[in-house]
Order: sequence, then structure tokens, then C-alpha cells
Amino acid sequence: MAGLFPDHSNFMKRIRNFCIIAHIDHGKSTLADRLLERTGAITEREMQDQVLDDMDLERERGITIKSHAVKMDYVTRAGEKYVFNLIDTPGHVDFAYEVSRALKACEGAILVVDASQGVEAQTISNLYQAIEQGLEIIPVLNKIDLPGAEPEAVAQQIIDLIGCKREDILAVSGKTGLGVDDLLEEVVKRVPPPGGDDDAPLQALIFDSVFNSYRGSVVYVRIDNGTLRRGEKIRFMNAGREYVADEIGYLRLKNEPCDKLTAGEVGYIIGSVKTLQDTKVGDTVTSVARPAAHVIPGYKEVKPMVFSGIFPTNSEEFESLRAALEKLQLNDASLQFSPETSVALGFGFRAGFLGMLHMEIIQERLDREFNMDIITTVPNVGYQVKLTDGSMIEVDNPSELPNPGKIDTIYEPYIKAQIITPAEYIGAVMTLCQERRGQFKNTSYLDTKRVDITYELPLAEVVFDFYDKLKSNTRGYASLDYEFIGNRPGEMVKLDILLNGDPVDALSTIVHRDKAYDWGRKLCSKLKELIPRQMFEVVIQAAIGAKIISRDSVRALRKDVLAKCYGGDISRKRKLLEKQKEGKKRMKQVGAVEIPQEAFLAVLSMDQG
Amino acid sequence: MAGLYLHIPFCRQACSYCDFYFTTRQDLREPFVDALLNEIGYRAETGFPGAALRTVYFGGGTPSRLPAGSVGRLLDAVRELMAPGPFEEVTLEANPDDITPAALSEWKAAGVTRLSLGVQSFDAELLGFMHRAHDARQAVEAITRVKEAGFASYTVDLIYGNPGQTDAVLERDLETLLALEPPHVSAYALTVEPRTRLGRAVEAGRLKAPDDTVAARHMERAATVLAGAGLARYEVSNFARPGHEALHNARYWKHVPYLGLGPGAHSFDGRRRWENARDLHAYLASAGVGIASVPEHLSDSQLAEERLLMGFRTREGITRTELADRYGYRFSPSAQAALDRFRTEGWLEDDGDRIRLLPAGFALADALVLRLV
Repeated sequence: MAGLFPDHSNFMKRIRNFCIIAHIDHGKSTLADRLLERTGAITEREMQDQVLDDMDLERERGITIKSHAVKMDYVTRAGEKYVFNLIDTPGHVDFAYEVSRALKACEGAILVVDASQGVEAQTISNLYQAIEQGLEIIPVLNKIDLPGAEPEAVAQQIIDLIGCKREDILAVSGKTGLGVDDLLEEVVKRVPPPGGDDDAPLQALIFDSVFNSYRGSVVYVRIDNGTLRRGEKIRFMNAGREYVADEIGYLRLKNEPCDKLTAGEVGYIIGSVKTLQDTKVGDTVTSVARPAAHVIPGYKEVKPMVFSGIFPTNSEEFESLRAALEKLQLNDASLQFSPETSVALGFGFRAGFLGMLHMEIIQERLDREFNMDIITTVPNVGYQVKLTDGSMIEVDNPSELPNPGKIDTIYEPYIKAQIITPAEYIGAVMTLCQERRGQFKNTSYLDTKRVDITYELPLAEVVFDFYDKLKSNTRGYASLDYEFIGNRPGEMVKLDILLNGDPVDALSTIVHRDKAYDWGRKLCSKLKELIPRQMFEVVIQAAIGAKIISRDSVRALRKDVLAKCYGGDISRKRKLLEKQKEGKKRMKQVGAVEIPQEAFLAVLSMDQG
Repeated sequence: MAGLYLHIPFCRQACSYCDFYFTTRQDLREPFVDALLNEIGYRAETGFPGAALRTVYFGGGTPSRLPAGSVGRLLDAVRELMAPGPFEEVTLEANPDDITPAALSEWKAAGVTRLSLGVQSFDAELLGFMHRAHDARQAVEAITRVKEAGFASYTVDLIYGNPGQTDAVLERDLETLLALEPPHVSAYALTVEPRTRLGRAVEAGRLKAPDDTVAARHMERAATVLAGAGLARYEVSNFARPGHEALHNARYWKHVPYLGLGPGAHSFDGRRRWENARDLHAYLASAGVGIASVPEHLSDSQLAEERLLMGFRTREGITRTELADRYGYRFSPSAQAALDRFRTEGWLEDDGDRIRLLPAGFALADALVLRLV
């Protein structure tokens, strides 16, 4: 590359680092595919839809879970050569921190808005972050070829949002490629080249890392200052670890090794880093020989927000589950777990996730990639508990909540939720937020038809089915984004479930006092549906401390025998038995009561009203 | 010892609950008998790898719908080609509306020793619900004729636990039946099978599925009343005076080999199971020899589990010795715990070798087996 640009300061002027900001389904990945095609970064033959999303799960869910980057060579209409680094950002609120680091590696952002859907909550929050970080925004209307497109109305929303001129807004179709060439030219014109000094001490921002089972951690960096050379000894400044940069290079569709990366460039480092725990997103890489004086600001430890127990269905698979989680952790530094024991479920792990989507992804990956048969317990948020002796503890497992007598105050996490909805659903949205103990903050009209509503809500009220409810109450039109704002005192109690008098630890939950009765009643009746009839009556009780607040029961089995059993029925009967045996393996025993695993997720399928 | 089962797939009309293979195409009966004779010859040649046949069972469908003379032809073929006899038991299922003095004497002459009468109920409304072809009067008359014809052994089928069936209707059915002093009764709880008219009605919500509690109560009541009349419960649904227990059916429960011929019939040679397709046309097209499935080989543990399923249905129960000798099977500690629990509840008896369910436990036989495997 150096041969192309003999004068280095000229080289830096020819770099454009940018990302794409879009709401899920607004066509980010498709547009990215077109950019790769037009710049020749990928040939037709290599073209697979949405190449940047290379995990199966990502492709199925149509969302980017992990961010990626790719380098493209672009020749302008005037014949000038440019280097583009497209840095992909995750598209879900669970991964807000990763988004912020990816934005930090860019000078510009293409804001993609679906011309038929308009601006959504997630677009806005990511957009504000990008503006805050000083990125140049190129607004783009996508899907202009769709019949329902309203380009003028949506353009007005964009103008109101970022204060641009109408003529600044481009129109493209990621599907047909219409307008993509103009967009590439605009990237050159509008996105500023990176700054930075090649000769200063090395400062490189880690904006992502992936784990390769042969090479260890592959760290994706953006060089802010200095020059990174192959073979150099490097230090991860926040982690305090040192490694040798065995291989460095550019991020093409495949890695392309090179000898050095200079200020403004984007590339990767491989250095026999055994675990992703050492290569945290947001950390600063510097040179050991000539270290930078300070780290790139903005680094933070990502803290899990949602916790759940993960247990092997077959207790003998505890060690395989541990191995699987460890492997996942190599690839996903935000996954945390520690061993947990449950009376009902045996040995397992308490795992912490960034959010519900993150949790679901981990569960699915355990199933698909490791073939693990697992039971997960009802997810909960983490609480800070001030004890009467003045000390503060963190509780991420209901069974660890101390006796009420020892508790002074329980603090629960709160979020600020931004909801964008058509104006006619304001009432429905506000009712939902009130039901979820929300505190109203603000509304503002994006245009005459769409409102931006801000609420502060306990995270615990949002994690389960808030989003589904929001969608169904607004016929799918509302969008949601949220950020953690701190912990606040809450009147929380631990609700236990007892089966024939024995508490089932895995069914305990921490709920707000005002909701405990309703919750207990619904949970008991849901469990009644899910627990099969047994040889004896099963009494289901919900209790707060020693006080029973709800009761239900499953009648004893009276008759379980096939009426007739002759020749033809025998194989049928055996096959039925074999099926029941499989079902039995998936049952967990508490006292003498057998509980199917669905019961442990009963809360999730409950209508919380 | 082994048994021979012949499936006769013809019915006058479709009963609402029945999922055995049948057709109402009466015109195919003659060609069917020819195909069945051919299958008998074919199986005799290829050899059934079980012991000599000692029992024959004509099941259906409705075997009493066979054309005149057919029972004799079929039994002659069996004697000539498969087993010389004499047979310990030859059972023929018959519907009350087919029981005529002529038919009875024909069957008796052919060698039938036992009749199984599909009465199901003496209640007009219930018979209508089941879509049976006979009425209560015909049922009583049929039983009387069977006795008069000199059949020392016969059995009568009853079905209880029907939707809407009251306890009083069951009591009347039992009373009517016992007044005729049958030597053997099969009393079944109505089972809703998916591919029947009843099954479809339940699935569509037109009919409420039989209530489990009612069925359990009916089962207990029927067992008590029948036992009181000297009919001992020797299997979950079968009751007999001493010496009148079904020999052929017992083969299923004791895991003794049986050969099944005719469409929809099942076979077991002690290790393998196979079945003939439920397809009369294919059966006729292949002259009875082209529709057997590929045999399924059962492992020792599968066989042992079957033995448990079947054994606990009977008065004799099972013995640990037999399970160990035949299948190398032993109960796990958790299985033993389940047995102990059933024993404590008064549902079974365990002398250290033989384990058998007591009357109070029969209704939970399948629940027990699930806890043992």
C-alpha cells in the first residue's frame, strides 16, 4: 500500500473510516454488501447475502451481533484511489457499549433510514452517540424502491433530527444498488480523513476482538497515533498485559498480513493471546518500547445486566457445559459465569448477560454449536443490597438474597427508555410504562405523526416481555432503546415457590412488593398447567418469607394404564414408553415431585398484564 | 408354544371408537380369503421361527363377517400347512348381529372353541353413540344362542367410561351381563384414538374426552362387581372364571411368539416384530405375501421393558428371575425405590422375586413401568 502513496501524509488523507447506523431491518447489511461489491472487495462469486454477518444466528435473526470491519479500495470518478474501512456495528441495545467503541474508530457514519418506516428509537440513540463523538453524518434514505416509501416525510424527520439540508440526504436502494455509486463519492467528499501522528507513541483502540481456535484472540484496532510494526512488543494498557504482535494486517474478507499499520489505519493484531478476557473492547494498545502517556478515554468494564441459571438437563454433563461456556467466553468477553448449585437442578452455572437478546443468543449457541441440552432459570437483574450492618452486597441470584431482617435497602437498576411511536399510541405506551412502574420524563414530537417518549423504568420490568407488549400495544409501530442510568431503592421481596411444602430454589424470584400477590397467583396457576399429575396430590404455594400468598394443586393420578394391549399395540406402547422415558430424563425432582423443565421458565410465558 | 392371529378386516359399519384396520367393502371378502390362504401357505414354507402353533385367534374387523365355509377352509389350511393341531384354543370374534344358529354350528364344526362377543353395552343410547350394528335385545339373544350351541368358553366385551355414561348405566350393563353368567368378560375403558370418528370429534371440540376420574371409578366398580360374581381379574381388562382365561391373548402378555396374518396384523418371534400394512388392496394385489414390514430387531433392554409393560398387566406380574434369565435385566436402585413406594401404598406385592400389582394398583400399571425404566 505504501507504494501507492509514497508521501505518507497524503496517504492518511486518502483514508475514510466510517460505519453504518441503522435500525434493525432498515437494510444496513444489504447496503454493506453493495458497498463491498462496488469497491471490488468481494466478487460476485464470493457474494453471499449479507457477508458481514457471518454467524448463522446473525443471518437468521437479521441482526449483527458482533461488529466486524472490512477494508475496501475505492477509485473515485476522478480516478483517485482511496482506502475505505467500513466498521460494522451491532444493532441491538444489549451491545450499546460495543457500538460506542466502533463509532470511536470512525470519522463518519452513514445514517440509513428506511423510507417507508421512518426514524426509529435505536437509530436516534446511536445517531446521538455518533454526533456526540463528532462523526460526520451522511443521511441516506433506503428502500426508496418499495411501494410504501414516503421519502419526503421521512426526509423531513431526518432534517428535524440532525439539522441537515434536504439536498444532503441521499437516496439509495440496497437491494437494486441504485444510488450506491453516489454514496461512495459522498463518503470521500464528506467524511474527513483521520488525524493522528505516525511518529507519536502508539495508541490503538480495540474496537472488537474475535477468537480463533488456532491463532488465539484476533484483535481489531484502529490506530489513533503512532505506528504498529510486526514483531513489536505491545501492551494492552487497561488490562495490563503484554504480548508480541506476531502478525498484523488489514481486514479484507480474509486477513491480509502486512508489516506495519500507521495512524488512521484499521487492522488486526494476532499475538498468541489465549483469552479474550485480555483483549477487551475499548482498551488501548501501545508499544512496550515507547509507551503512550495515557489511554484512549472511554474504556469501561462491561457489566452484565441480566442473570440466569444454566443447568445441564443431564447432571452428568456439568463438565461439558463448563467447557462449552468457556469456549463461548473466548469469543464473547461480555459473557460471565460462575458455578451455582440448586437443590432442584443440581450443579450448573449462574451466568451474566448484557441483556435478554444476549442471553437468548448464548442459549441458542449452547444448543447449536455444542449440542448442550440445558435448563435455564427465570432471568433476573442484579440488585445492590444494603444490609443493616451498613455493608453493601451485590445479589444476582434470588436464592442469595439475605433474610429480610438483615436487609436495610434493596437498590434495583433503572434505565432510561426512549420509545418512538405513532402519536395515536401515546396512551397505550404510557399505560404500559405506568404498569411497569415507570416514571414519565418527557415527550417530543418528531413530526406531526410521531412522538418520542422518555420514561425511567426499573430494568427488571423491561427485561421480560416489555418489548413484546410494546410492539403488540402499538401494532408493531413503536421502537425502543434504553440505557442504564443507575440503581434506585425499590420495595423488593423474594417470592418463593413451594411444592408439597418444599421450596424450589430455582423458581424463586425477586419481585416488587406491590406485584407479589398477582405474580404469585399467576405463577401457581401456570405451574399447575405445567406439572403433570403424579401419584399423589401436588400442592403448589407461593410464599413471601413464611407467609403463603397463593395456593393451587395438581390432583393425584387416578388411572394410567392402557385399556387394551394386544399384538399391534405392543410396539406402539413401547414407542410411547420410550418417548415418555425421554421426557422423564428431562424432569427434575424436588422432594418426591417431578417437575418438567418448562416449569422453570414458567414466568416467561406468564402474562404479566 | 406360539399363537396364530388372523386379521379379518370386514365390518358391517364403522364403530366410532375403533382403530383396528377394517373396511366396509363386503365384495372383497371372497378374494380376501384366497389371499389369506395363500399367505398361510407362504408363511408355512418360509417357516415361522417360533415353536409350534397351539392357539388360533380370528380377530378383526369382524371375523363373523367371513363368507360361509371360510373359517373351516382357513383352519384346515393351518392344520395342513402349519400345525397339525389339536389346538388348545381357537377363538373367533363375532358381533351379536351375526350370531345365527347356522353360523354357530358351522364354526363349532370347523374347530372354533371360543367366541368373543363384541357386545360393548346393553344400553340403547350408548350403542348408538358407539355406532354399533346391534341392539340390546340382539346382544342378549346372541349370548343365549352361544350358550345353547354348546360353546363352553366365550367372552363378552364391555366398554365403560364413555362420555356422558353415568354410573347407573354401567351398573345396569354389569347386571344384565352377569345375569347371563358368562365365563369370561373383557371390560375396557373407552380409549380415544386419533384416527377414529370419536378421535376427530374430540379433537374438533365437538365432544368432550372421557373424564379420567369417571373412567377410574368405572374401572374400579366393574372390577369389584365382576370379582363378586366369581370372575377374577387376571389382566387389567380381563376377567374369568377359573379355567376360562384366554390362552391366545396371554401370549402377548407373556412375551410368547405369535404370527399375525392378514392386513394390519402384527407378528413377534421372540426377538423381532413386524406388521402387515393396513391396506387390503395391496394385500389382495400381492396375494397376501407382499405387505410385511421389515422386521424391527429388539434389544434385550427393549424386550425387558416390553415384558414389564405386559407383565404388570397380569395377575402373575413378573419375576426378577425371568427378567434376568431372558433379558439380563435388573432393576436399578431408583426402580427399586419406585417398587417400594408402590408397595407401601398397597398397590403391589413383592416377595423378593415375583412382583405383581394388587387390584388397587392395576389402574396405575403404566405409571409404575415408567418409574421403573
